[in-house]
Amino acid sequence: MKILVPLKRTADPDNANKIKIGAGGAKIETTGLEPKANPFDEYAVEASLRLLENGQTKVRIAGDKLTIASFGPKEAATNIRQALAMGADDGLLFLSDDNALDGDLIARALAKVVEQQMPDLVVLGKQAVDGDSNQVGQILAELLQWPSATFAMSMELSADKKTVIVGREVDGGVIKLRLTLPAVITVDLRIVAPKSVVNHVTPATFTYPDGARFTPLPMIIKAKSKPIVEASLASLGVDTALKSKYLSFALPPARKGGVKVKDVAELVQKLRTEAKVL
Amino acid sequence: MDVLPTDAALTALRAAFSEDLVSFDRDLFGTYGRDWTRVFDPAPCAVARPRSTAEVAAIVGFCATNDIAVVPSGGRTGLAGGAVAARGELVLSLERMRRMDPVDRVAQTVRVQAGAVTEAVHEHCAPHGLTWPVDFASKGSSHVGGNIATNAGGVKVIRYGLTRHWVLGLEVVTAQGQVLSLNGALEKNNTGVDLRQLFIGSEGTLGIITEATLRLSRLPGALDVMLYAVPDLPAVLRLFDAARQGPFTLSAFEFFTDRAAARVRRHRGLEAPFAVEGGCYVLVEAEAADREALEQWAAGLFEQSLVSDGVLAQNRTQAAALWQLREAISESLSGTGVPHKNDVALPIAALAPFCASLDALFAERYPGWEVVLFGHIGDGNLHINVMKPEDLERTEFFARTGEADHALFTLVRAHGGSISAEHGIGLLKKPYLAYSRSPEEIALLRAIKQAFDPRGILNPGKILDA
Repeated sequence: MKILVPLKRTADPDNANKIKIGAGGAKIETTGLEPKANPFDEYAVEASLRLLENGQTKVRIAGDKLTIASFGPKEAATNIRQALAMGADDGLLFLSDDNALDGDLIARALAKVVEQQMPDLVVLGKQAVDGDSNQVGQILAELLQWPSATFAMSMELSADKKTVIVGREVDGGVIKLRLTLPAVITVDLRIVAPKSVVNHVTPATFTYPDGARFTPLPMIIKAKSKPIVEASLASLGVDTALKSKYLSFALPPARKGGVKVKDVAELVQKLRTEAKVL
Repeated sequence: MDVLPTDAALTALRAAFSEDLVSFDRDLFGTYGRDWTRVFDPAPCAVARPRSTAEVAAIVGFCATNDIAVVPSGGRTGLAGGAVAARGELVLSLERMRRMDPVDRVAQTVRVQAGAVTEAVHEHCAPHGLTWPVDFASKGSSHVGGNIATNAGGVKVIRYGLTRHWVLGLEVVTAQGQVLSLNGALEKNNTGVDLRQLFIGSEGTLGIITEATLRLSRLPGALDVMLYAVPDLPAVLRLFDAARQGPFTLSAFEFFTDRAAARVRRHRGLEAPFAVEGGCYVLVEAEAADREALEQWAAGLFEQSLVSDGVLAQNRTQAAALWQLREAISESLSGTGVPHKNDVALPIAALAPFCASLDALFAERYPGWEVVLFGHIGDGNLHINVMKPEDLERTEFFARTGEADHALFTLVRAHGGSISAEHGIGLLKKPYLAYSRSPEEIALLRAIKQAFDPRGILNPGKILDA
């Protein structure tokens, strides 16, 4: 079984108060923001590892492989290296300028990567936390004409490894989809809950810690000798023209300060006349 | 002075100041009359909340002539009862005095009033790439004045030293209601005994700090957080030796036992990334210019078998999760049982033999009592928490811990340690002061108190008996 996880280097939106818009609203200034792997992509790596190992013994299933693919500057190798330290086997880095990419181009480029690598499963974060576009997984599945499930909160790989049952949270419950491999799955936060991934190799009694795993230091050292192949985006033979045009960026309006009311009567009156919710 | 204020004094106090400045509202007394210790019942006579040094001087001057004792009050996050007013004192809160002047980037200083909240000072300085490196869990409530009056410690002492190192100048109101301006904003001022230093760590017994010029440090760069597993305390110290030689600046070196981790698991449901049966966890925070070199250093620890397991946080979320394992301990001990807390300091070289004697002491005299150890081991600072056994009554337990403390402090003294590393003496540790200070020292402390506060109106009964 072979899994491909695309991983995006993003500017940390936790530093939201440091976000600045460039002159004329042309783009978001990312200088000064801490770059980090998109957390949803980290969950995709974690969930994929849980499909490929015996969680109890931490032994990987023989013959399986997890490949990481990233598009961006040379520095993105650091983030790929972190996924390798978590347990991925190799990485592909397609060099390009962050501003010369959009969801459509990434999806088309990934379709070429899939042609070359022939994975059984592509697992992606549901969206990147910088642009929040939420497009790549869906467009990729369409281009490949593969079955797909988005916002996965659970995955169960069948013992014969031919199908995956994906749980998706919807209003009022969970909907389960059975996908025949090869397939595209995008994952949500809950995919890294303790019992979210079942592969029929990890004993049913075993419980994972919540969240993406800490990387043991020996693995960080080991990851240094795992291969990361760099190539240009053009080498994939895709049309690099962008379909998304960003017209302008603006910060949301600053919140107005609150007011103190002296009693309940004034509160009710303000809710009626100012907030107009009563 | 250790008598309640007379009715005449209280009447005069009421007449002398507005209710806004000096309040007799009993609803305030419970809040303003105590700190984070819960052993003493608050019973102040009034709560003063001045807005300026002149108002502080006026109130203290009035109290001096009318024999009203004064307890200075900051964020009241202390753990030794230093800010407790249980004997009809006037509580003088500095909370309205929180002005922060503009940061002087070249001198790397900032002048603030005593009531400025520690975290607010951090936020005030951060845009200039600077910080006041006094940092601990209660920074969201604690005041600069309280930090200075208690010479506060915390998690960054190993890198930056105690609060004392980060105070350039002080403005102090004396027990006579006079205003002293000490050292201005000078880095160098070699003109005889440095009076400023006497007020730092005096717990409000010598004067009331109203303003300070703080020395600032550049904000550190990216900090890497690691968690290691080691079998025992000697192994913690071998790792500390290795960390001292490491290719980075050490910014924290904290340890906790698996018992502490088990309490955190029970109370908060936080899991360490690996288990260490019967051993210790060590949290290391480092500022490394070269992360590659840091990783190589860490790899070497495994080759030399100094550690049995270890992780390096890959992002701030993971770093925060590792810090949580350490920072949740205090709360988890109170959340899962009744702890009796001690905060001792020892020379690094004495830590291992001290802990061995401590184990032997409790095994022999208090079998079945759970002793939970954690602390800033890099500073030789151990937090020793004795947990109340289920089958022992609370009063019986605290009676016996009182007796256990004498045995414990005898050990501390024998190993050249201190009975209070960073919590201070206040009321709580006063009975044990003689374990750390000689009769000659205590006589000098009394003479200093007498010189600054002959009538004994400032925080009476704290550190020394009134």
